Amino acid sequence: MTLTFVLNGHPCTAEAPAHWTVLDLLRDGLSLTGTKDGCGEGVCGTCTVLADGRPIRACLVLAAHVRGRALVTVEGLETDGRLDPLQTAFAERGAAQCGFCTPGMLLAAKALLTEDPAPTAQEVREALSGNLCRCTGYAKIVEAVLAAAPGRS
Amino acid sequence: MRLRPFELVEPETLADALAALARLDGEARLIAGGTALVPMLRLGLVKPERLISLHRLPALAEIRTDDGTLRLGAIATLADIERARAVREGWPLLAEAVHRVASPAIRTSGTIGGNLCYAEAASDPAPALLCLEAEVRVAGPAGERSVPVTGFFRGFYETALEPGELVTAVRIPAVPAGALSGYVKFTPRSAEDKPLVGVAALITLDTAGRCAEARIGLAGAAPTPIRAHRAEMVLRGEAPSDTTVRAAAEAAAREAEPLSDLMGSADYRREMIRVWVRRLLVAMRDGTHRAEPNQD
Ligand SMILES: Cc1cc2nc3c(=O)[nH]c(=O)nc-3n(C[C@H](O)[C@H](O)[C@H](O)COP(=O)(O)OP(=O)(O)OC[C@H]3O[C@@H](n4cnc5c(N)ncnc54)[C@H](O)[C@@H]3O)c2cc1C
Ligand code: FES
Ligand code: FES
Repeated sequence: MTLTFVLNGHPCTAEAPAHWTVLDLLRDGLSLTGTKDGCGEGVCGTCTVLADGRPIRACLVLAAHVRGRALVTVEGLETDGRLDPLQTAFAERGAAQCGFCTPGMLLAAKALLTEDPAPTAQEVREALSGNLCRCTGYAKIVEAVLAAAPGRS
Repeated sequence: MRLRPFELVEPETLADALAALARLDGEARLIAGGTALVPMLRLGLVKPERLISLHRLPALAEIRTDDGTLRLGAIATLADIERARAVREGWPLLAEAVHRVASPAIRTSGTIGGNLCYAEAASDPAPALLCLEAEVRVAGPAGERSVPVTGFFRGFYETALEPGELVTAVRIPAVPAGALSGYVKFTPRSAEDKPLVGVAALITLDTAGRCAEARIGLAGAAPTPIRAHRAEMVLRGEAPSDTTVRAAAEAAAREAEPLSDLMGSADYRREMIRVWVRRLLVAMRDGTHRAEPNQD
């Protein structure tokens, strides 16, 4: 199956078997390993990427379903070599420890800030509710997202 | 771990989708968002040779109102439904219940038709659709038909769909004027879990303050989502006083036939039905029901 879509702002054509998920396509087909394979069942959120600006679970969505859509992975968050404000805030505030949940957290947060540039702490928690972190205890992640929210400063 | 290989069919017309479903060679399964099906494929609970995807049928994704009736195409996503202005304004109970499904990324892909056809007892939208007396539109080899949602769930993960049939839309009549409604989802572990029990309710009060309409939908209270008819009978014709609400909650707990599973025992579920039916009805009556989940 040939798939054409937009990947991190660039047109992309890739070959994928019909039974591949978006996660298989990204990690194995395109060697973009920033997107993490955690549970494979939709529960942990480490595989979160954006499709047309909204968060999806790459492990649950068939690769065929992203034809013609715009995907953003953690590799696409920086612009011209400059980190996204969310990435900087995560780094500065200790919101990443082992880092396994971080790509998914960043993209779930990115989707929220694109839709609502000035969310409350409760809205941040809700937006990240499907992303598990076993290290940080979440407080610093929520702080980092609030610090990066363009409408709050 | 990869999924087991299957053939993927991506019809572009409803007729082609039905023709693909009618093929008799090998087991086929429909896939909408895949949020329920893909985990089942991964665990090997189902091993279809062919998946028929509905994603190239944009007509099935439409959300619109016709003469006061809301029509949700089967592949309308939960994310689009919770954001649709028509839904938030005209059918707030549905917007509230859909918003409580899992987490944002599941709602981006998950569809209303997939939720109904998965027929899980622990569905968040189902109790709301039961209270709203929705009608499920079905297409199949013999043409189209309608099934009231109250008759759609037939048993544990079982629906009224016949072989070769698929859901095309859900139609929801206008909410009675002045109705009070609300949904509570009780999750003992964390907020994005499936509901241990879910309670949706819709009541209208007459000029004397008595319940004219009283509808209660329950998730996690039986092998399928159900209406709590006995509890509704307790409320109808009565003012929702503390005593009446308690009696209704008691009736709901007694008529429930919950199952035991890893999330909770049947006894615990029954007890939580009693608690949450009472709390929801009191909060609706007092105007203190909040659509947002608890902060803790
Ligand atoms: C981590 C996780 C958490 C979840 N939490 C919740 C929750 O809190 N609350 C909740 O209610 N649900 C929850 N779900 C279940 C699921 O996400 C929803 O039920 C979702 O709405 C299913 O829709 P879908 O389009 O993804 O279905 P799919 O997975 O595509 O399909 C589900 C089933 O329905 C059939 N089907 C799909 N569309 C049609 C159609 N039009 N006609 C006939 N058959 C059809 C498929 O063949 C399949 O058997 C959760 C799932 C996961 C993975
Ligand atoms: S790997 Fe996709 S949600 Fe866990
Ligand atoms: S930083 Fe380790 S899981 Fe979140």
